Amino acid sequence: MPMRFATAIAKWLEDRTGLGAALTPILGHTVPRRTASFWYVFGSSTLALFALQVATGVCLALVYVPSADQAYQSLVYLNHGAHLGWFLRAAHFWGSNAMVLVLVVHMLQVFLFGAYKYPRELTWICGVFLLLCTLGMAFTGQVLRWDQDAYWGLGIGASIASRAPGIGPGLVHVLLGGPIIGGRTLSRFFTVHVFLVPALLMALLGLHLWLVLRLGVNEWPMPGRLVDRETYRKRYEEEVQRDGVPFFPLAARKDMIAMAAVVLAVLVCAALFGPHGPRGFPDPTVIDTAPRPDFFFLWLFALFALLPAWTETFILLVGPVVAIGFLVALPFLSGAGEKSWLRRPGSVLAALLILLAIGTLTGLGTTSPWSPLMDGWSATPVPPIYVKGRSALELRGALVLQFKQCRNCHSLGGEGGLRGPALDGVASRLTRDQLIRQVLQGGGNMPAYGKNLSPAEVTALVAFMQTLHPVDEPVARTAAGPLLGPR
Amino acid sequence: MRRGASQRAGSGAFLVLMLGFFVLGCDSLPGRPKESAEEAAQSMDFELLYATHCAGCHGADGNLGPALDLHDPVYLALVPPNRLRAVIEDGVPGTAMTAFAKERGGSLTEPQIEALVQGMLARWSDAQSLRGMALPPYAGPLGDPRRGAEVYATACGSCHGGEGRGGKKGHDIVDSSYLALVSDQALRSVVIAGRTDLGMPDWRGTRGSPLTSQQGSDVVAWLAAHRAPVVGRPIFEKPRG
Amino acid sequence: MCPNYEFATPASPSRRSFLFRLALALNGLALLLAGVPILGYLLGPLSRRAAQTWIDLGPVASFPERETRLAVYENPYRVVWDGATAKIACWVRRLEGDRFQVFAVNCAHLGCPVRWFPQSRLFMCPCHGGVYYEDGSRASGPPPRGLFEYEWAVRAGRLHVRGGQIPTLSEPV
Repeated sequence: MPMRFATAIAKWLEDRTGLGAALTPILGHTVPRRTASFWYVFGSSTLALFALQVATGVCLALVYVPSADQAYQSLVYLNHGAHLGWFLRAAHFWGSNAMVLVLVVHMLQVFLFGAYKYPRELTWICGVFLLLCTLGMAFTGQVLRWDQDAYWGLGIGASIASRAPGIGPGLVHVLLGGPIIGGRTLSRFFTVHVFLVPALLMALLGLHLWLVLRLGVNEWPMPGRLVDRETYRKRYEEEVQRDGVPFFPLAARKDMIAMAAVVLAVLVCAALFGPHGPRGFPDPTVIDTAPRPDFFFLWLFALFALLPAWTETFILLVGPVVAIGFLVALPFLSGAGEKSWLRRPGSVLAALLILLAIGTLTGLGTTSPWSPLMDGWSATPVPPIYVKGRSALELRGALVLQFKQCRNCHSLGGEGGLRGPALDGVASRLTRDQLIRQVLQGGGNMPAYGKNLSPAEVTALVAFMQTLHPVDEPVARTAAGPLLGPR
Repeated sequence: MRRGASQRAGSGAFLVLMLGFFVLGCDSLPGRPKESAEEAAQSMDFELLYATHCAGCHGADGNLGPALDLHDPVYLALVPPNRLRAVIEDGVPGTAMTAFAKERGGSLTEPQIEALVQGMLARWSDAQSLRGMALPPYAGPLGDPRRGAEVYATACGSCHGGEGRGGKKGHDIVDSSYLALVSDQALRSVVIAGRTDLGMPDWRGTRGSPLTSQQGSDVVAWLAAHRAPVVGRPIFEKPRG
Repeated sequence: MCPNYEFATPASPSRRSFLFRLALALNGLALLLAGVPILGYLLGPLSRRAAQTWIDLGPVASFPERETRLAVYENPYRVVWDGATAKIACWVRRLEGDRFQVFAVNCAHLGCPVRWFPQSRLFMCPCHGGVYYEDGSRASGPPPRGLFEYEWAVRAGRLHVRGGQIPTLSEPV
């Protein structure tokens, strides 16, 4: 009885809406047989993650207060007060990381399979803008986590915007919603994160999916089968006719497995590692902080540290334009010809190089060796082996090394800052004269300490550093030393 | 037929149970953030405060660092707690001990400094072991460098050499640069408390009678007499140019 | 039941095209009247580009001579919902007497908060390792210039600075 009732309702709905009749052919449309492969699941996985982000994001917005004076407290309440609020925050955070990651993998697969070529140029361009939207969501989401990282992250954003010639100052004011970071800034970013970019994302996503349906899933690239604008579409139609399989369920089941897998992975991460932050109350007068961006922007953070100063403004401003311009132009630059990665060594190499560069920069970003260790001077002890057997003067020198913040940039025994060279064994690399000169005059990216050290402090410091050499390696000496006789 | 139905009912109940557990019970998952009270307590934790603010100079465990041995019952018995607090707050001008109090440009609040003082006393002091010992007071009387020379010769010279310029076991302690970087009070503290972690004995010495308060002052006066009025920069071995 | 075409569509072609043009014009007008305020509202922060104002940092005596201290003021353009972000910090260096230097906490490289180390008399930035001397000049690292300096004045024994907007390379205080 209930079964019959349900069928009746379904029939009535179908009669009035006609959605079933409209959607069935879409679900069942034929795709090339070999595309029912796990290589083709990254797009739908990204879609699944986006759905998760929408669901968790809407839930978070039920509690979150987009007001600079209360946003932080509402996040703390989500973490501790709201039932399972921490889990939704965690899922939203890990979901954002996963979405960026899977989206990049999707893009890479599309690039290597030549799927951006004729006639799918617009699908690719649409995807490029989807990537930009996703990164935009990632950055604005980081701002909504209204903590110290968010505050100073905005400062970095404003500093970059200010470098734009001519429009810089105006851009900063429009970005921040005023002359300085404050309440107006957060409201602005909230609107961008929950209204503007999501709307744009959904519109682009609709177009993207429509184009995929209209132009067909890219066939498995075969080496030697070149794309020709005259014949491609006809050949594709013939192949699908001859050897196609229905998308649902043959290809879709692999998509569904991948979708479930990425969402489950995000949920497991959320349960195990929990939410990120909020890290420190957003009080800009608390300067005892070392701001770091979220994972997906670490490579940019690293790039800012490593670019030579004179190229910086140029690369900051021109780099994104060139990168986006190149991605948009790509299907027009190589819209036809070989699709298979086996016959496109240049493309494979370029993709590998970009991956390697971003991977390396991200790796560097996690350790950020260019940053001084702000509490290195007071938190990293002098290794006891460098204390034992030292004279009173040398011990004073070790103290000078500590309390003049040398350890913020130099390490001893593997502890301390990594900006400057490690000082273990420095005495066998530099002579006494060179040590004195380096301390007093600086150079090679080291500040000159001449005005900031008393003569006795220099003497003690150099005496201590002269003890830093391996037992079996002698202290470095000036070649002319012996000729001039004893000092 | 009946079996299938009960099986279905069973799996349904299991699913509901799992869902119930997930909705109600997963507040005990490892990812759940710690209460903020725990974080607040952390800012007053001695171990953390010491490790981030003191360990750099005084050593990871309070000793074997270039600065004074804090993990030393004799030193902690010698220095009055108020003085300990004052030194952390205001530092010792002219030496490597800098001011840590917020109002003096440092980064520690008053309760944090108190936590440091109490933490050191609770962990590293040992009044029991010094009972009955005539430990000289922290602040001493005025010393006389001439008597100090005699005290030096009998109590210190065997290690630090006849002139104080270093000997069998001890190092040069009259170097003008060294003396420019150390306060008289720090010299007195070292004479009395020693650097037992680095092999220098306390006021009881290794043989002979323990030093009195006056003798301590005298030997410090003798050391201070070696201070140079002006300490020059280190001299280059090779003339430049 | 056939519709009354006579009633639904205008009689003459010229009337038809007039109505179409009128519809276009009316919608264009509506778009303009709605769009201009929206654009103006969005670009509002540009037109109200407030100039810097003088801010009281407190009595001169609260800054010890030959020392550099963190001073805190309230951003003059604050709104009540700014919360703690209305507070802005700056480094005040008092040379001697009434001679001062007031630096923004924002690093000249990318705006991170620089920290003062009185022991080595250096400012260090925790982000990309910019280092500055006590007079604010660049010592090492990626910053393209020295620290941003506020304009200051001493009036009736109190230190005032001109501030209010985030210092950046294109608008250095």
